[in-house]
Amino acid sequence: MKLILSSSNIMQAGRQSVIRQPLTQKSNVELINSLRSNFLASQQTDSSPNGTKSNGHSTAHPSWTLQTEDGLYIPALDFSQPGLAEERDQYDITVKLFYLPGIPVSRRCEHTREAIDLVLKELHIKSIDLLIVSFPGILFDADDDSEEEDSTSTGEDDFDSIVQTWRTLESLHKQGMIAQLGVAEFGAERLARFLPHTKVKPSVDQINLKDCCVVPKNLILYAKEEQIQLLTHNDCHDILPVGTTRELLGPAGAGILASSPTANDGIQGDVEPQWVVKYTAVVKDRGVVENKGYFALADVGTCVKSR
Amino acid sequence: MGLLALGTALEWPEAKKKADQVRQWGIEQLLANWRRARGKERDALLWGDEVEYLVVALDDAAKKSRLSLAQADILKSLAKDEELWKNGGNRSETGDHAGEEPPHFHPEFGRFMLEATPGQPWGIGFKDLLKVESNMKWRREVAKAHMAANEVPITLTTFPRLGTKDDYIQPYYPPSGPALRSQFVPDEIANPHIRFPTLAANIRSRRGRKVELNVPVFHDINTPRPFKDPTVNYDLHNWPEDDDVRNGAAKDDHVYMDAMAFGMGSCCLQITFQAKNMTEGRRLYDQLSPLGPILLALTAATPIYKGFLVDTDVRWNQIGNAVDDRTPEELGEAPLKNDRWRIPKSRYASNSTYISQDPRLRKEYFDPDLVVDQDIKKHLMDEGMDELLATHFAHLFIRDPLVIFSEDLEELDLNKSDHFENLQSTNWQHMRFKPPPPDNDNIGWRVEFRSMEIQITDFENAAFSIFIVLITRAILSFDLNFYIPIQRTTENMETAHARNAVQDRKFWFRKDPFPRRVPRSTQQSANGSTFSSGTSSAVNTPPPSPPLGPVDSEYDLMTINDIVNGCDDGSFPGLVPLVESYLNSVNVDVETRCFLASYLDLIRKRADGTLWTGARWMREFVAKHPSYKQDSVVSEEITYDLVKAVEEMTTKEGKDGSVGWELLRGRKF
Repeated sequence: MKLILSSSNIMQAGRQSVIRQPLTQKSNVELINSLRSNFLASQQTDSSPNGTKSNGHSTAHPSWTLQTEDGLYIPALDFSQPGLAEERDQYDITVKLFYLPGIPVSRRCEHTREAIDLVLKELHIKSIDLLIVSFPGILFDADDDSEEEDSTSTGEDDFDSIVQTWRTLESLHKQGMIAQLGVAEFGAERLARFLPHTKVKPSVDQINLKDCCVVPKNLILYAKEEQIQLLTHNDCHDILPVGTTRELLGPAGAGILASSPTANDGIQGDVEPQWVVKYTAVVKDRGVVENKGYFALADVGTCVKSR
Repeated sequence: MGLLALGTALEWPEAKKKADQVRQWGIEQLLANWRRARGKERDALLWGDEVEYLVVALDDAAKKSRLSLAQADILKSLAKDEELWKNGGNRSETGDHAGEEPPHFHPEFGRFMLEATPGQPWGIGFKDLLKVESNMKWRREVAKAHMAANEVPITLTTFPRLGTKDDYIQPYYPPSGPALRSQFVPDEIANPHIRFPTLAANIRSRRGRKVELNVPVFHDINTPRPFKDPTVNYDLHNWPEDDDVRNGAAKDDHVYMDAMAFGMGSCCLQITFQAKNMTEGRRLYDQLSPLGPILLALTAATPIYKGFLVDTDVRWNQIGNAVDDRTPEELGEAPLKNDRWRIPKSRYASNSTYISQDPRLRKEYFDPDLVVDQDIKKHLMDEGMDELLATHFAHLFIRDPLVIFSEDLEELDLNKSDHFENLQSTNWQHMRFKPPPPDNDNIGWRVEFRSMEIQITDFENAAFSIFIVLITRAILSFDLNFYIPIQRTTENMETAHARNAVQDRKFWFRKDPFPRRVPRSTQQSANGSTFSSGTSSAVNTPPPSPPLGPVDSEYDLMTINDIVNGCDDGSFPGLVPLVESYLNSVNVDVETRCFLASYLDLIRKRADGTLWTGARWMREFVAKHPSYKQDSVVSEEITYDLVKAVEEMTTKEGKDGSVGWELLRGRKF
């Protein structure tokens, strides 16, 4: 079965998104803390007894979650509430989609639509301004002026699969759902190899740097030439590992999953995070971040597809 | 400081008779303007910085530096150029600043001062943030280009030897003139525009004696104890006010000063923001208020007065005393007979009101000693203004207008704001809430952050300006809450004066700045009353919330390092981490982020002590000077060398071990 995790608006939730740490340290603390705190807040506000809620059939899921045909929403989501306070054109809406390591490329089309769909529904919008995609296994290294393709360790994200995924994004762009596309962690060489295979060029390359004043010169020049904006981020690479997911959802966390695939204290079976998406709505001419949050999707139990 | 039109300025006895009329008309103008502008919505973030300079003339042969009184000539020459630029004339010297409007220059109180602002306000586009520093440098170059060859604009808060017995001004005028009646500075020290001498004279006259500034001297090993300010002349008999010193105005162990120029001749770094509407403006006014003393201590740069090292690091109270027009009755030195109330603070002081209609604003935060003109408050409320805002203005309007032009009293013009501004802009509090000007629809509600000291280099000035801008964005984005009882902010303002307060002192600050989490089920109803996202300026009713703890448990004493970089125990997250968190949520290009990182690094290191404040650097400079005699005296020679060092610092910025590396780089290489 699918588990749809959400953080709700973390700007209003406060503390967990502000982390005292060096500027450039990559981290998934924001994601993990914001999910955890949203689960906790939803559990606390829910006073009805656990267990026997919902559509006639008895379920083991706590009542602060919601089972639908899409999957189990953790916590329950109510998309009927308005997403943004002002007119759509007042906002810049950026979405970053993290494809996770070990997940077959063949699912990316579906995953992309799922993720974007959730964001559109959450914010009550029809399109987003910028979608940045993060491929697993690509590590940007500013120090030696070149990036490695780390395909040996994860085995997957070879060049063809990136191009194949990009086709999906291009079609969403064509449908008007996404105004601009972007990539993350691409060095100059990879960009140069990638661009000829694109119909819609990335407008953004988002990089993380230990010292953001040391950007490889060839990348700066190439990006300028190709009119690709170099943006910064501090997201970590493997943003939602399996172990973390089980910890979040297990008996010590949300109380949904069992403590191990075969234990009896929750939903049994293997858990496999599929993707994570981060969305940000910024009021354009005021620079105010009004809404920011995460969705993540994990498969569990019998749903975990064979590779 | 904007200049009013010329006219016949009333001397105090006459002005006093007209005070009620000016106040009444000012309130009517406020009401008309408030009605017109209260619904103004969705104004963009625009902001501006004001940088103030001292103009110093250097005599390299004699190793002397003097304040130059050439303000008028310099401004005239600058205005000519500005005219030229406007008419599309020679823009060749603007090569690096294509597309930027030429900067504006303004007169200031001191005739040795200049103020420069960017040609047009900044936005929040991150590209704009990159232009701030280079624009500041450009302003300095343009200013310098219009000065005599031996003159330089420097950004020290005060001139170290202002008011000494030597010829510290050029051209030289003897002290003891009719307007200031100072035994240290001549009337010619002030801008000759009638507004300024009148302001100084009427403050003195209303007060009934000269203003009095006693700054504790810094006791070095050879400083006499008790220290009796050797520059004070007890035998002067030109004016009745010369009796002040014979009546004990000059205190032992203090440096004594007696004129407005010692305060209003200080240079500051002030930032003004445009809010999206009145609601947001009021919110920023409140939330920035507790930051005032923190930024004052962080920017400390004023350790020398009248040729002596003093035991305070900042300018603030000296200005407060320099414009203190309170009578002995208002000061509490005499029983109330003629005056209406005792007033605890000078017109130039930390602010005393909170004005945001924020459910988080608890009644315990208000100043219990707030003095308010109840009639004015009632009138404002009768006209529909809410109590918070009415209280704020009724508090500002307890003061008398100081400079009144008789021509302005003939007819009340509700499309102007001159009478309102007469009171508003002579309440020099550390925050200012500014209604939109009635004659310009493009300008919205604004908030001015006024406590920071000017820094020696434009790198620092840009860093602090941008830091404050980013903090406002973090406040709005994270819905932060910095409220503490406003009296604590007043206390903090005093604390910030202590020598090396930035490292040695603790300040009251709120422990948890985050909003309480609103459960999703009630989020929408709450959303309407969340100031960051609400579109309406309507009065909001607070959502029902769990009972609050005691106010005293909400805040604690913290070091500046705790406040800026976060507490080790994780309680307060730190202003810099908050800003970085904000930056991580918006799209910032690498070049901009690199600049911003260098600015945030400066602030982080000033707070943790890796880098020195300007005040500390100047103390060390004096202490290490070969001619310094450990007697607190900052001689002409030391001053000359200090000015030269400061001038060098503005271009080399402490790079490669050059002068000032301790306050800019933290290491020599």
